[in-house]
Amino acid sequence: TLTLTSLIILTLPIITTLLQNNKTNCFLYITKTAVTYAFAISLIPTLLFIQSNQEAYISNWHWMTIHTLKLSMSFKLDFFSLTFMPIALFITWSIMEFSLWYMHSDPHINRFFKYLLLFLITMLILVSANNLLQLFMGWEGVGIMSFLLISWWHGRTDANTAALQAMLYNRIGDMGFIMMMAWFTIHLNSWEFQQIFLTNPKNTTLPLLGLLLASAGKSAQFGLHPWLPSAMEGPTPVSALLHSSTMVMAGVFTLIRFYPLMENNLTIQTSTLCLGAITTLFTAICALTQNDIKKIIALSTSSQLGLMMVTIGINQPHLAFIHMCTHAFFKAMLFLSSGSIIHNLNNEQDIRKMGGLYKTMPITSTAIIIGSLALTGMPFLTGFYSKDPIIETANMSYINTWALLITLIAVSMTASYSTRIIFFALLGQPRYPSLAQINENNPYLVNPIKRLILGSIFMGFLISMNTIPHTTPQMTMPPHLKFMALAVTLLGFTVATELNNMTHNLMFKQPSRMHTFSTMLGYYPTTIHRILPYLSLTMSQNLATTIMDSIWLEKMIPKNLTTMQKTAASLVSNQKGLMKLYFLSFLLSITLGLLIAL
Amino acid sequence: MPYIYINIILAFVISLIGTLIYRSHLISSLLCLEGMILSLFTLNALLSLNINFALSTIVPLILLVFAACEAAVGLALLIIISNTYGLDYVQNLNLLQC
Repeated sequence: TLTLTSLIILTLPIITTLLQNNKTNCFLYITKTAVTYAFAISLIPTLLFIQSNQEAYISNWHWMTIHTLKLSMSFKLDFFSLTFMPIALFITWSIMEFSLWYMHSDPHINRFFKYLLLFLITMLILVSANNLLQLFMGWEGVGIMSFLLISWWHGRTDANTAALQAMLYNRIGDMGFIMMMAWFTIHLNSWEFQQIFLTNPKNTTLPLLGLLLASAGKSAQFGLHPWLPSAMEGPTPVSALLHSSTMVMAGVFTLIRFYPLMENNLTIQTSTLCLGAITTLFTAICALTQNDIKKIIALSTSSQLGLMMVTIGINQPHLAFIHMCTHAFFKAMLFLSSGSIIHNLNNEQDIRKMGGLYKTMPITSTAIIIGSLALTGMPFLTGFYSKDPIIETANMSYINTWALLITLIAVSMTASYSTRIIFFALLGQPRYPSLAQINENNPYLVNPIKRLILGSIFMGFLISMNTIPHTTPQMTMPPHLKFMALAVTLLGFTVATELNNMTHNLMFKQPSRMHTFSTMLGYYPTTIHRILPYLSLTMSQNLATTIMDSIWLEKMIPKNLTTMQKTAASLVSNQKGLMKLYFLSFLLSITLGLLIAL
Repeated sequence: MPYIYINIILAFVISLIGTLIYRSHLISSLLCLEGMILSLFTLNALLSLNINFALSTIVPLILLVFAACEAAVGLALLIIISNTYGLDYVQNLNLLQC
């Protein structure tokens, strides 16, 4: 039963794409109801799993066998995939309903829904894959759909470059993924997870490094992160689905899947930890002074992803997974409410031009406040059940102190930039032109946000109560460590409110150096995007044109030879060019010699 | 010595004299050079056929290859001279020494 229901879940959205009645208007509603039913059906295996803790592996269609490598279509339904699938379906359902309102005036809205559905299908393939080939198919699929969706308004140059950026950075990560697949084929002769975990090889540093690179590319860790803020060029439902709750989770999800291998490899754990710590601090710094509301939320996503990497680095993959699931809810909700603000203010995305929405858009402002509180880990909201255990375990484990301090600073910055959003977008006097008609009454807008609010409040509790802990959590710790997370969050809140209130009275003539560092995203895109193409182009020009063509083929032998001979001949010879005389003397000497000999 | 050899050697000597004694055009010297090579080639071919020494049948072929290169070099020199002086008169080879 478990197996059949799970397969039905995956095929329901696929059937909708196969019907292909793009021209009619009811395609949208069919899609949305298909996702709704898929969500309802996917709850059945999840509840069965919660009740019985019985994992299932479906392996049904044998595709091919290449020498000794057997490739088949197999699904793995364990704790991770069974918990994530209903969540992904729920969020996609809410986002599809939201985009019925948001993309209402778009003539290609059918194609938009088709893309969203394709994305959902590939994400589900990724999540439920039991072998690396299927996971790679889902991986590439979400990459492609992200490209298509980011460049939705493809007449805009910035959107096209952002989509290219996303694709390129994902590709760099894919190199690592392919290296990992190759290593597993060579050493373990299999791509199935069961075989990999059973054999448990001892020298797994190389494939896990590849996996780390792949996750860094997909989940926008430091070094491969600029595509995520640029990906905000896509429509808000795209940002909500891809870049807050599902696609960027793919990298972290794969890392979590490999936790039996990562338990034994301390090098990889420390590198994950440091990478995650750097990411979370850097993106939190960048998010502090951004002026575009979607960029702030995107950088906040990146920061939370760094936090998840940190959790994996301290060998707590289950906590990272729970944080991933809860983060999906409130981040999607933050994006949806920002989309509501943007549309209602007539496509205004700059928070310096918003304000005073607290009274005019009550549902949206409630959503933002609840979402921000959940994000910062307010006690007993959703974020608390995942973020607080992370900070506690990090405090109590044998860990790199610098990474820990950085993570704590980033947590306080989370509170700061959330306060900044609330302050600029909601409070104060309106700074937008007064012709904007603010209308929240559409049920397609309100219902998804209300559902996600309920999810943000209760899901943390529900998930943590219904899962069996795989590692024993820390029970006793000194009180100052216990309250550390709360303390840094409150610190962030107070500092941010203080500074934001000061902006009413003071203004800098010229932003300070730190401010420009933060606003320009740490100068990272500016430097890297110019230096790397310049270096590779000049290197190729040097190699191909200069060395090969000009020097070796043209100048080395032919021209050098001519100049050498010319200078030597003109230097050395003192001939006068009297050819007839020389030839005559030659003839005379030959005849004389012949005559003498004979 | 068979008469055919004397005939060919006579042709060679005449071409040699033609190479060394010429009036004004450089190209006539090159022409006689070609004549020398032709007579040498005929001599070699007849010799290897008459003596029935099969291995030496390759010698005329090699001679032909080198003759082709040499003719090309000679023509290139002619062209350079023609580029600098306009004609290939031998008298103006001692002007404008470069």
